[in-house]
Amino acid sequence: MALRLTLQVQLILQALLRDPAREMYGLELSEETGLQPGTAYPILLRLEHEGWVSSRWEDIDPRAEKRPARRYYRLTAGGAVQASAALSGARRPKGTALQRLAEGGGTA
Amino acid sequence: MMPNIEREERRRKRAPVIGFIVSGSLLVSVLLPASWQWLPIAVGTSAAIAVGVTIDPPVGRGRRGGLRGRRRGRGSGLSAHGRDDADGLAAVTAHRWHTLVMVSWQMPRQPGRRWLAEAESLLSEIPAFQRGAAIRSYLRSAPQLVVMMWAHEVQRRARLGPRRPG
Repeated sequence: MALRLTLQVQLILQALLRDPAREMYGLELSEETGLQPGTAYPILLRLEHEGWVSSRWEDIDPRAEKRPARRYYRLTAGGAVQASAALSGARRPKGTALQRLAEGGGTA
Repeated sequence: MMPNIEREERRRKRAPVIGFIVSGSLLVSVLLPASWQWLPIAVGTSAAIAVGVTIDPPVGRGRRGGLRGRRRGRGSGLSAHGRDDADGLAAVTAHRWHTLVMVSWQMPRQPGRRWLAEAESLLSEIPAFQRGAAIRSYLRSAPQLVVMMWAHEVQRRARLGPRRPG
């Protein structure tokens, strides 16, 4: 099934593409895109199923860190190429639309 | 003893949850092959009964080890470690957390666990005043996720083929 490039998907891809080698966890992505975490999760899952994104659990001792482990996401090599191509081919959303989406949190 | 007004409030809030569970189960069962249709109905019915008979959920207290032992030996992160204020926010958040747990039961086992663990991880780090909105967003996207996860699960099982005894 082809990935639908909604505004929310574009926001997530843009955030991940800023530094494709960098791993980002849910809250970071949510803050960077302005999307609510519940909105970002299905998108990340879909991207992962499509093979654009890989994820892993952070390897920490939750008791020592006093917080649960994070799930980190990053673009795969193929995913980065496909995401760049898809974003360059996508209808570029207007700045105001993106801003409004980021302010409202938006839904997928 | 919980005041009656609070019990009534809980009763009122339970109705949409039960509705969601029942409709979710039916939806998922329709998507599955005939031999698997009993599974979501059985799970959904059990969950709906569990929600229906639970009058006084342990609100505002962390349950270490988690419900049904499905979490990973940690507190929910919502009420443990003194993260919540004693201003009633904890009670509201914990109530919604239980809803998240029940929603995760509608998902296939592994993806459901992961969804819940990620939600737990994120909610434990998010500022308390944003937590309600974050949980609502998880709940809003849950029906779509349940369908998506079961669709992937069905595809995965179809790829694996029928199980052979021995």
